[in-house]
Amino acid sequence: MFTTGSKLFIGASVVALASAIIYGTTQDNSTVGIIGLVSATIALVFLVGINLWVRDSNVSADDASAAATAAATNATPPGSMWPLVAGLGAALLPVGLVVGRAITWMAIIVLIIAMVEWMVQSWSERASGDAAYNTMVRRRIMHPLELPVLGAIGLGVIIFSFSRIMLRLPAVAGAIAFGAVASIVLLFGALLAAKRNVGRSLVATLCTIGAVGIIGAGVTSAVAGSREIVKHEVPSFEENTCGTETAGEADTKASRAVAAKSNLAATIVLSGGKLHAEVIGVIGAQDTVTLARSKYSYIRFENLDAEPHRLVADFGTETVDVNGTAVETSFKTCTQAVGEGGAQFLVVRPVLPSSSSETPFTFNVPGVEGGIVTIVVP
Amino acid sequence: MSHSFATKRVQSNMTTVQNVQNQSGDSMTFNSTRHRRWALPVAAVAAFTVLSSCAKDAPQDTWQPAGENSRRIADLQVWPFGIAGIVLLIVAAAVGYSVFKFRDRGQAMPKQSHGKPALEIALTILPALILIGIGIPTVSTLFQLAKTSDTECVVNVTGQQWWWEYDYPAQAGCGGIEKPIVTSGQLVIPAGQHVLLRISSRDVIHSYWIPKLNGKRDAVPGRVQTLRMQADQPGIYSGQCTEFCGLSHAYMRMEAVSLDAAGFKTWVANQLEPYAAPAAGTKSSEGEALFITNCTRCHQVNGILGSDGKEVIARPDKYVYAGVVPNLTNLMTRTTFAGAAFDLQTAACKTKLWNTPPDQFTAAYLEGVTPQCLDTVQLREWLRNPPAKKPMYADPTKLATTGGKYRGMPNLGLTEDQIDKLVAYLTERK
Repeated sequence: MFTTGSKLFIGASVVALASAIIYGTTQDNSTVGIIGLVSATIALVFLVGINLWVRDSNVSADDASAAATAAATNATPPGSMWPLVAGLGAALLPVGLVVGRAITWMAIIVLIIAMVEWMVQSWSERASGDAAYNTMVRRRIMHPLELPVLGAIGLGVIIFSFSRIMLRLPAVAGAIAFGAVASIVLLFGALLAAKRNVGRSLVATLCTIGAVGIIGAGVTSAVAGSREIVKHEVPSFEENTCGTETAGEADTKASRAVAAKSNLAATIVLSGGKLHAEVIGVIGAQDTVTLARSKYSYIRFENLDAEPHRLVADFGTETVDVNGTAVETSFKTCTQAVGEGGAQFLVVRPVLPSSSSETPFTFNVPGVEGGIVTIVVP
Repeated sequence: MSHSFATKRVQSNMTTVQNVQNQSGDSMTFNSTRHRRWALPVAAVAAFTVLSSCAKDAPQDTWQPAGENSRRIADLQVWPFGIAGIVLLIVAAAVGYSVFKFRDRGQAMPKQSHGKPALEIALTILPALILIGIGIPTVSTLFQLAKTSDTECVVNVTGQQWWWEYDYPAQAGCGGIEKPIVTSGQLVIPAGQHVLLRISSRDVIHSYWIPKLNGKRDAVPGRVQTLRMQADQPGIYSGQCTEFCGLSHAYMRMEAVSLDAAGFKTWVANQLEPYAAPAAGTKSSEGEALFITNCTRCHQVNGILGSDGKEVIARPDKYVYAGVVPNLTNLMTRTTFAGAAFDLQTAACKTKLWNTPPDQFTAAYLEGVTPQCLDTVQLREWLRNPPAKKPMYADPTKLATTGGKYRGMPNLGLTEDQIDKLVAYLTERK
C-alpha cells in the first residue's frame, strides 16, 4: 500500500510533528520554532500525498513500453563525489558565519564549485545513451575551467610549501638547499631531454615524487614554525627621545635599494665628526637644506664615522592652548643608530615654517659637535 | 520552335547584359555621390588641421621655442619628422603603385614566390640605419636636456591639487636671494640664466610643462625631479599640468615669467619687503581683521600680526589634504590666482602684457596689477563660492575619505560686505 518514497516522507512527517509538540511544550518563547516545525510537517505531509498519488512513479507491470523506457532500464550512472563536496560546503557555511569571513567565503566557493560540477555531470550523464560520449562531453566543457584552476591551486600549494621551507631553514642553508634542488631539477631535465624515448609514467613519477617531497617538507616546516628572524629594536625611536643611545642598531641593508637612494630631498652625511647635506641638483656639500612645508620629504642618513650615530630632525616646538593650559608639542624625529658605513631612511614632514621658531630647525647628530645642518622651511 | 527558343535566349542574354550595365552604372553613380558627400568634410578637417599649425595665438606651441632646452626639443622633432615623411612617401607610393598596377582585372593568378634574401636583408638594414640615424641625435639631446650642472640658481616647485607652489631658497645665485620666498601660480626667473627646478608633489602625481621653455617633468610625491629652465628673453610663457590629477586637472595651470637680471632683483626685493598693515579705519583694515578670522587658518601672509601681537602662522596641514594653500603675501605681484586659472587683471591688460615686447616686458610686469588693470570680478566670484568657480572636493559633508580635510577651498558663506572688505585688503598685497 505504501511505496518506499511515501514511507520515508511519512516517517519524516511524524518526526517533524513530534518535534513540534516536544519543542512547543518544553521551550518558552517558541513561536518561531513551532511555526518552522509545523510548516515542515505540513510540507512533508504534502509530499506524502504527492508520493501516494503518483505511486513513486512505479512502472506498471502491464505497460509493455516501460521495459524499454523506464529509468530502471537505463545504465546506472557512475558515482559522484560532488554531493559530498556540496555537503562539506553547506556544513562549512554556518561554521564560517560563526568563526570568520574567510571560512564563509571558502564555503561559498566550495558550494559554487560543487553545484557547477554536479550540474554539468548530471547533464552530461543524460546527454546520450553512450557513456563514453557523455564523459567526453563533460570533459570538453569542464576541462578548460578545471585544468587552469587545478594548475593554479597546485602551483599555489607548491609555492606556499616552498615559502614555508625557506622560512624554516637558516638563511644561508636555504640558499644552498634550493641551489642544490635547482641543480638536480636541471640535471634531470637535461637527462630527460637527451633521452628521446622516455615513458610518460617515468616523468609523472618523478614529478609526483618532487611535488610530494616539497609539499611534505613544506607541511613539516609549517608545523615546526619559522626560524628566528632578527627584529630591529627601536626603543629610542618609539620613545622619541632621539638621544645619544645606540641600542637597536638598524639593518644597514634596508636603505640600500635603488629607490632609497634616488631622487631624495637630501642625503645627510656624517663624516669626520661633521655633518653635511647633499642635495639633488645642487653641486657640492651644503650646510642648509630647504624642505617644503607639509610635504613628506625623504632623507637618507649616511654614517661614515666609526661610532654608531643617529640623525635627528628637529622642527622646533609649538605651544597650544588646551583648556587654558599651555601644552608644548615637540616636532622631532630621528633614525635609529647607524653603524659605520651604514645608511638609513628618515621621512619628515615639517608642518610649521622656520619663521615660526626662534631657534633654527636642524638636522643634528646627538653627541657630535659639528653635527648640524640647518633646515629651512619657507 | 528551336529558332524561337534561340531568339528568346539571345534576347534574354541581352537583357541580362543590359541589366548588369545598368546595375554597374547605378553603383558607380552611387559611389561617386557618396564620395562627393564625404569629400568636403574630409577636406575641411584636413585643412583645419593644417591651418591650425599656423595659429599665432598658441601660447603652448612646442614649435615656437623660447628657451635653450625647448629649442633642442623642437630641433629634434624636425629630423625624425623629415625621415618619417620620406618613409611615408616611399611606402605610400609603393602601395599606390602596387594597388594600381596589380589590381584585379580578371587575370590569372601570377606565379607565387617565397623569400628574396637580398631584399629582406636590405629591408632589415635600412630601418636599422634609420633608427640609428634618429637614435644618435635623440640620445645626445636627452643627455643635454638632463644636464643640470650649469644651473645658476634653484627653485623648488611643488604640485598639489590643483596649483603649483614655488619656493626660492636663500642662495647666492641669480643675483642673490637673502631669504626664502614662497609664491604660487607664476614662476618668476631671470632671463638668460639656467634655473634649476626641483620638482615634487604633495599629494598625487602631477606633471610640470611649460612647452615654450622645456619638456615635461613628472612631480611625484616623495621624489625630487630636476628640470633646467631657461628663457631667452623677458616674457611670459604658459603651461599646463599634463598628468591627470583629479577633478580640476584642467584648471591646474602655470605661467613662467622671465625678467631681465635687474628686474629679477627688483622682484626678489619686492617679495621680501616687510608686511605693510593697512591704514587703520579703512575698509582694507576691516578686511585684514576678516582675513585673520576667516583665512589665516590656511592662508599664510608673512608678517601679519594677530591680536596678541605675534605673527599669525597658518596651519593648513590641519584643514587641507595637501597640507598647504597658496601664500598670499604678495598676491597682487602676480596676475593670476587659484592655480593660475583666473586673472586678476582685465582681458585688455592681460593681452597687452602678453604682447609686450621683451625689452619692455620686465617693467610692465613689475608694475603688478595696477588699479587701472585690476579686475575683481573673478576674485569676487571666487570668494563668493570657490567650488562653483573651480571644481574641488570641498563639500564639508563629503570629506570622509580625506580624514575631514578639504581638497580645495570651501564655500565660506561670506556676505557681500565681507567680500568687499576682503577684496580691499587683498588688492593691497603687493
